[in-house]
Amino acid sequence: MKKISFSKALFALMLILLLALAACSGGSDDEGSGDSGSDDAGTEEGTDEGTDEGEEGDSEAAEGEDGLYSIEDFSTDKTNEGEAIEGGTLQYGLVTDTAFEGTLNWNFYSGTYDAEILGWFGESLLSNDDKYRYTNDGAATYEVSDDNRTFTFTIKDNVNWHDGEPVTAEDWAFSFEVIGDPEYTGVRYGADFTNIEGMEAYNAGEADSISGIEVVDEKTLKITYIKASPSLLTGGIWPYAMPKHIFGDIPVAEMDSSPEVRENPIGFGPFKVESIVPGESVTMVKNEDYWQGEPKLDGVTVKVVNPSTVVQAFETGEVDAVDSFPADQYPDNADMSNVEFLGMIDLAYTYIGFKLGTWDSENAEVVMDDSKKMSDVNLRRAMWYAVDNDAVGKNFYNGLRWNATTLIPPSHPEYHDETIETPTYDPEEAKRILDEAGYVDTNGDGMRENPEGEELVINFASMSGGDTAEPLANYYIQSWNAVGLDVQLLDGRLQEFNTFYDRVGQSGEDDPAVDIYQGAWGVGYDVNPQGLYGHKALFNFPRYESEENTALLEDGVSEESFDVEHRKQVYSDWQKLMVEEIPVFPTLYRSLLAPVNNRVQNYSIAVDFNALHEIAVTEEEPIAAE
Amino acid sequence: METTDVKMDETTQGVTKSPSGARIFWREIVRDKLALISLIFLVLITAFVYGISLILDQKEIVTVDLFAIHQPPSEEFWLGTDYGGRDIFGQLIIGTRNSLSIGILVTLMTGVIGVVYGLISGYFGGHVDNIMMRILDFFLILPFLMVVIVFVAIVPKYSVFTFSLIMTAFLWMGIARLIRSKVLQEKELDYAQASKTLGSSNIKIMFTQVLPNITSLIIVTMTLNLAANIGLESGLSFLGFGFPESTPSLGTLLSYATNPQTLEYRWWIWVPAAVLILLLMLAVRNVGEALKRAADARQRRG
Repeated sequence: MKKISFSKALFALMLILLLALAACSGGSDDEGSGDSGSDDAGTEEGTDEGTDEGEEGDSEAAEGEDGLYSIEDFSTDKTNEGEAIEGGTLQYGLVTDTAFEGTLNWNFYSGTYDAEILGWFGESLLSNDDKYRYTNDGAATYEVSDDNRTFTFTIKDNVNWHDGEPVTAEDWAFSFEVIGDPEYTGVRYGADFTNIEGMEAYNAGEADSISGIEVVDEKTLKITYIKASPSLLTGGIWPYAMPKHIFGDIPVAEMDSSPEVRENPIGFGPFKVESIVPGESVTMVKNEDYWQGEPKLDGVTVKVVNPSTVVQAFETGEVDAVDSFPADQYPDNADMSNVEFLGMIDLAYTYIGFKLGTWDSENAEVVMDDSKKMSDVNLRRAMWYAVDNDAVGKNFYNGLRWNATTLIPPSHPEYHDETIETPTYDPEEAKRILDEAGYVDTNGDGMRENPEGEELVINFASMSGGDTAEPLANYYIQSWNAVGLDVQLLDGRLQEFNTFYDRVGQSGEDDPAVDIYQGAWGVGYDVNPQGLYGHKALFNFPRYESEENTALLEDGVSEESFDVEHRKQVYSDWQKLMVEEIPVFPTLYRSLLAPVNNRVQNYSIAVDFNALHEIAVTEEEPIAAE
Repeated sequence: METTDVKMDETTQGVTKSPSGARIFWREIVRDKLALISLIFLVLITAFVYGISLILDQKEIVTVDLFAIHQPPSEEFWLGTDYGGRDIFGQLIIGTRNSLSIGILVTLMTGVIGVVYGLISGYFGGHVDNIMMRILDFFLILPFLMVVIVFVAIVPKYSVFTFSLIMTAFLWMGIARLIRSKVLQEKELDYAQASKTLGSSNIKIMFTQVLPNITSLIIVTMTLNLAANIGLESGLSFLGFGFPESTPSLGTLLSYATNPQTLEYRWWIWVPAAVLILLLMLAVRNVGEALKRAADARQRRG
């Protein structure tokens, strides 16, 4: 997205929503309304897929000239210069023009900004590698049983809460009990939890404990899942403990408004919260007792920075680093002297979706309808051929977004199949396909009619927010007009974020006036696309289903798919199927940029970065621009 | 011209009639150099904008051109292009036309409604006045901006005309009140009373006798309102509640400046629109002030 402060917040909200959705891999979690995020995937600060993106071969490639940039030229790790000093305080900015909510507990937060803050003091028990899989390097280690259903976790001995109490298996089990509690007020309870044995009974109030969760001893926890799935290892296990000695006496319904969440939150991470200015900033000091060793910094201040002044904040040295930087401001500020820009491929894509059916809310499933305007796959394919996404990426985004090919973005290099041929800009081909499929202009108004000879007017819904939203939507409409398709902007204007998703179908009541729409999804760490394209997924906005699709998606989370090669093949087939069937077509992949002040060392936005305590600075204050 | 008829006798020849209102206005404007320049500027800009926009193709101007994004001013694009590769000069012309059209339309419509409403309310007085003024009070306390924003959100498609209607619905009250208070005074004057005694119908007295005597007030108020309405439209568009970008207006051009990058590095997108709004409103105001003086014999310079 581009520009405008307001837009940035919307965009962020969107991504929260999207992450949330993608994480609901079970498919029928309808509670993910509007802006509630439930990122089960355990996002630490910064997400990236690190080193593997080198070979990712998009048409954009590294083209330094013409003011174009390529994400491949960015590193995820800060280069270190000079000698680090003792202590120092890092200034970390949250780029948003609204206040953060301040629900500072993993079990209850819903906004990304709260998650960013949590990342500094409340650590995940499980760390992950650059392929998003859990590793044994974190605060807890795990073993999997032969049938892949039972996990045995051992929490390391020196892991202690900020108040000195040890983190125990009891605390972790308590976290599950809170989320599974019938009184639970947050948004986390979903397929990842119902897959635990006995969780549904506990949630319904029929059992006093969760039968699948067993506290073996003080530091050992055993969790048994109903269904084995490779998704469990990429964010499917809830890795956050909750201090039972603090929350044990608080009724679950009152937890999210308790001072233990809002005012004095604790964790076992490298920093501990000292003071909170609600909605504005959080001051943290180092946790000397941190299990990976004493942090090098004295503390961290996390504060809100307005997107329209974020450049100035960097120039004057007000902030050292931010969660994400508005990519559209990059070209004008690429040579800022006091920062280094880090970058990575974002876990997201923009796409054009076609409405092919409706949502049956009674059975909570997708119902395809062959009589929809967009039901003809040739029409959809022609529309893909008609747009020049390569040019869009280069001209609107200076190459920082680029032509997308399949529905698994290159942020998941293991599964993104770059060999798949997808339609690229070729208006002649689009016209040919339309002619062949019977879409011809019969009444001489310059616009094609459908094969039955009726007027074909396609209503296009697109979201406002972001400066390029408007020209981009108009560009697509023009391109489709150019091949003779009468595409009109729904209501003649862009839709506001929440209205847009309501009309597209986030509440299950699809607006029949929408024929096609432009949306964006953030994808979770787990590559499984069931939450977005499964036939039971509310967020399957195109309302597309087919036997093959269902079979492939099921296969992707089956036991056979513990074999990575098998899973790769399954998802490669699924990506091909999506290119053939085109319920949606991806338009752009995105990059994520994060400038860091030159004084900062050992900083990284890589997804497997789990060493906040190593971050150091070379000067007392951030360096200002020359 | 209100009650100044008698004094004017010597300036007229032949028929004993006071100089026409138009002539007094004209003299006042000529005397005031600033007002004269403003008027000439206004006439030129209006003629230019409406003239050129006949030739310009709006559809072509709002066509997104991927390969001409953020071009600085050049021979091809006199005022550069915006982030959609659209010519700013063309947008400025069409935008000014749209903004002016809305300003004028809203002024005229609020004027008509306000005058009729005020006239009836003031002339009949009593219960009629009481009821009508309470209705007016109701409209007055509505939060204008919020209601307009909601309206714009609800109405699926709107044109220059419908948008003017929405604005008119909440802007006629000021002028109605003003006219009513004037009419309250006017109807007590001898000529109105005499006409009444002679059996003229109320309609006739209202529209052919009282109304001509308050025209100067109407013209002055409406001129000053014009400046305010242009500003209001630009403000709404600036906030994003006016026209979509495919219908440029001065406000949408100005709103590009909310982007810090545009504000800092691409002046050509927003400076012309900002300058034009400033000049337009100043010019209308200058003319309006001159008219105001002309309408009041004690303040006249000419």
